[in-house]
Amino acid sequence: MDSGEANMSGASMVSAHSTNIVGDAISKIMEFKDKVFSIEQRGGIVRIKIHRDILPHIVQRLAILKGIYLRTMMASDERGLEGVYRLYYVFGVDKEHTNLVFEVALPQEDPKVPTVVDINRASDWYELEAHDMLGVEFLNRKLYRLVLPEDWPEKVHPLKKEYSVSELLKLYRPKAVEYAKEIGAENIVTIPIGPYHPALHEPEFFELYVRGEKVIDARYMGFMVHRGIEKLGENMKYDQVPFLAERICGICGFVHSTSYCQAVENALDIDVPERALFIRSIILEIERIHSHLLWVGVALHLLGYDTGFMHSWRIRERVMILAELLTGSRKTYGINVVGGVRRDIDNDKIRKAIDVLNYVREEFKKLVEISINVPQVTARLRGTGVLPLGEAIALSLVGPTARGSGLDRDVRRDYPYAAYKYVSFRVPTYSEGDNLARTLVRVDETFESIDMLYQLLDKLPSGSIRNESWSVEPYRLGIGSVEAPRGEVIHVLLTGEYSPYRWRVRAPTYQNLPAIPIMLKGIDLADAPLTIASIDPCFSCTDRAIVVDVDRNTVKSIPIEALSLKGTRAIR
Amino acid sequence: MSQSTIKESSSKSIDLKKALSRIKRSIWVFHINTGSCNGCDIEILDVLTPYFDVERFGIKLVVSPRHADLALLTGPVTIKTFSKVYRALSAMPRPRFVLAIGSCAVGGNIWFESYSTMGGFPKVLEMFSEMGLEIDGVVYVPGCPARPEAIIYGAATLLGLQKPKTVYRRFKA
Amino acid sequence: MVKFLKIIPIAVKTGTVTIKYPYQEPLVTDSFRGAIEIDPNKCVGCGACTRICPPKALTLTTESNTMILRYFVGRCIFCGMCADTCPEKAIKITKEFELATGNIYDLYSDVEHEVKTCSICGKTFTSKKLSNKIASKVPDIPTETMDLCPDCRRKETLKKFIGVPEQ
Repeated sequence: MDSGEANMSGASMVSAHSTNIVGDAISKIMEFKDKVFSIEQRGGIVRIKIHRDILPHIVQRLAILKGIYLRTMMASDERGLEGVYRLYYVFGVDKEHTNLVFEVALPQEDPKVPTVVDINRASDWYELEAHDMLGVEFLNRKLYRLVLPEDWPEKVHPLKKEYSVSELLKLYRPKAVEYAKEIGAENIVTIPIGPYHPALHEPEFFELYVRGEKVIDARYMGFMVHRGIEKLGENMKYDQVPFLAERICGICGFVHSTSYCQAVENALDIDVPERALFIRSIILEIERIHSHLLWVGVALHLLGYDTGFMHSWRIRERVMILAELLTGSRKTYGINVVGGVRRDIDNDKIRKAIDVLNYVREEFKKLVEISINVPQVTARLRGTGVLPLGEAIALSLVGPTARGSGLDRDVRRDYPYAAYKYVSFRVPTYSEGDNLARTLVRVDETFESIDMLYQLLDKLPSGSIRNESWSVEPYRLGIGSVEAPRGEVIHVLLTGEYSPYRWRVRAPTYQNLPAIPIMLKGIDLADAPLTIASIDPCFSCTDRAIVVDVDRNTVKSIPIEALSLKGTRAIR
Repeated sequence: MSQSTIKESSSKSIDLKKALSRIKRSIWVFHINTGSCNGCDIEILDVLTPYFDVERFGIKLVVSPRHADLALLTGPVTIKTFSKVYRALSAMPRPRFVLAIGSCAVGGNIWFESYSTMGGFPKVLEMFSEMGLEIDGVVYVPGCPARPEAIIYGAATLLGLQKPKTVYRRFKA
Repeated sequence: MVKFLKIIPIAVKTGTVTIKYPYQEPLVTDSFRGAIEIDPNKCVGCGACTRICPPKALTLTTESNTMILRYFVGRCIFCGMCADTCPEKAIKITKEFELATGNIYDLYSDVEHEVKTCSICGKTFTSKKLSNKIASKVPDIPTETMDLCPDCRRKETLKKFIGVPEQ
């Protein structure tokens, strides 16, 4: 494999097809001729095998070019196939609908690779997760436990192929019981300490460090919801995994099952019938509407306006009933399978859908007029939680969080999928980067989605809804990505014989969370909950926050709503 | 298959009925999310909104377990949240009730044998009684996610307002 | 301040939307998927549903001399794949969602099947109903072969093939 000879014909084929950015990138990469082993292009994916020594240099070269973002990184155990661990770095070139996948092989007796976190800050959590799950070591950086608990046994890495699900099960459950007995039943609330005390094991998500009433830093302690989904997916058949994928998130589950199905269809070149693509797009837009209405309700609740919360959820309820009529369940719809969908939409349902959409558009317009365009509310949203454009680019942010700061990225337009090439739509972008900008992006997107749904329901073609005649070829790479209400979801998949060999899921909140400490620096404590909620984090954020006052050396645990209500009272 | 119900000694069941009759009119609930996908949690919030409106039964959401009578538990109890569930439930004063909502809490859902979860509330209940934590009444509400009407039905079952419909059945093929 | 007050005419026009469940019918649509019901007369014990069920809520276990198809509604995700996959169409999706109970064992339901044991090694390998169904669909399999488990069947066929005399 380490022959040192590069596949040059592949390189020329790539530069003939692509225009500026990809061609530039390839020519920069070819400067390292002897450490680049092969370049192949298939559809929108360019696979480049490189030696691990030149990885930081390549990332450096790509960082200079504009328009290339790190989408995800997947580490996989291929010791059974070629005796190596392999890292796949997926960079996306938005304007040219192309993915550059860099494959770095690490020998099994020496799984070390230089870190790229100082060049590309978005790779921080990907490296930590690869270290936790597979034991890959990244040189010249501090490695700590991100996903697994602190006292997980040292040398056991769950995604390695030698551990079966049942073996890992027996390993840790008794330890959890021991740990709980040790901690005991007492609740530590206030203790006089320094900046941080390691024994404070509260079930919190955010630690806010304050000086007086201003926040100076924040730390995220999470991954409580880690359930071992990627390992479970390796033991399930292809048609069972969409149900597993849908339960990654209850609010935006359909995007995960669609993204998985698209990854398999991309890897195996499966032809999905047109009607199925339209049905997928229709359900995706319905999900976007109900997710944004949910967010508007939660934001109004955090500002203290509970009436607005109730009205927003009243409007949303009609959308959930419509989803149940079309698919069979209020959430976690369960209609996606590889090759199409399982349930059809008839004309009666289309008529009912149009009624619901008319109702939602009317009512939501009225609600926005009386709640968001009101001076008291805009005073709290304007100018708080500012995220500059430079930071958004450096962290490769996605979704309304990025579009509120002027970074115009949208998977529906940049990497078209399902039926989006048949409809026309705008992508709303604002450049101020504060909470108000992100709110307005979501409000505008809701009205855009309603317009898109009218177009999709009108143009629905006839035909079958499922392609059942496809066969599996092992060890092919597929990428599927979808624009979720929170941002870009991307699934990378390596096919196996009866089940996926390796399946990597990257949810949008994972990419957006590192932006929170930046947004929280220097703002008032009362604005912190709304700022955290403005990236629309996909965890139950009605929790508590720990507030650490560095001047007075106190630690307090306060419910998040109480923090925020203080600000509204101050305005009145 | 052996059928055993949750053990209740005779003295405890008298306490239970008295306690239930005292709190039946206005029960205070506390919500614990032990690592769920948020589907069932949003349905719990839905139960408070105008379409289903559980406040007409006198049920109120509180922020601290020390004020609560009933814990609404969702999620398959991941290994990271196990000790926190233990502490939250211990902080509730007796009599304490748990409503295990959703397929994750009742049976562990698809990840009942994953390395990262404890497998649902029934498994955790056994471990709690070994650790000395007694729960006075549990009701299981299946569903993925559990409908708001099913949650109201489950709460009504817990309060003794109606008898459950499902019983164990065995048929010969 | 005035704009906030515009909520009042909206609220008056909307009225009350509360569905007073359980004194009123719940909001269930036609396509809703609730718990499943297995028809014991049609089920043959093939186990196709157990192989497709994502959370393994349907399992096939052997208890003393019977094979049991066990359905645990507590772990069911109400996807309906079992109903789509069953070759005998023995599984029906009902609209039942009022399943709450205090006793976890109430959430199980079993269908018992009579088993067939191998005439040579005595191992339980399938249900009588499935064996009879296959015999009726493929009539030219000799009955002695139908009474053997897969391992013994292979051994006997190989013996006949290479001409080992009967013992």
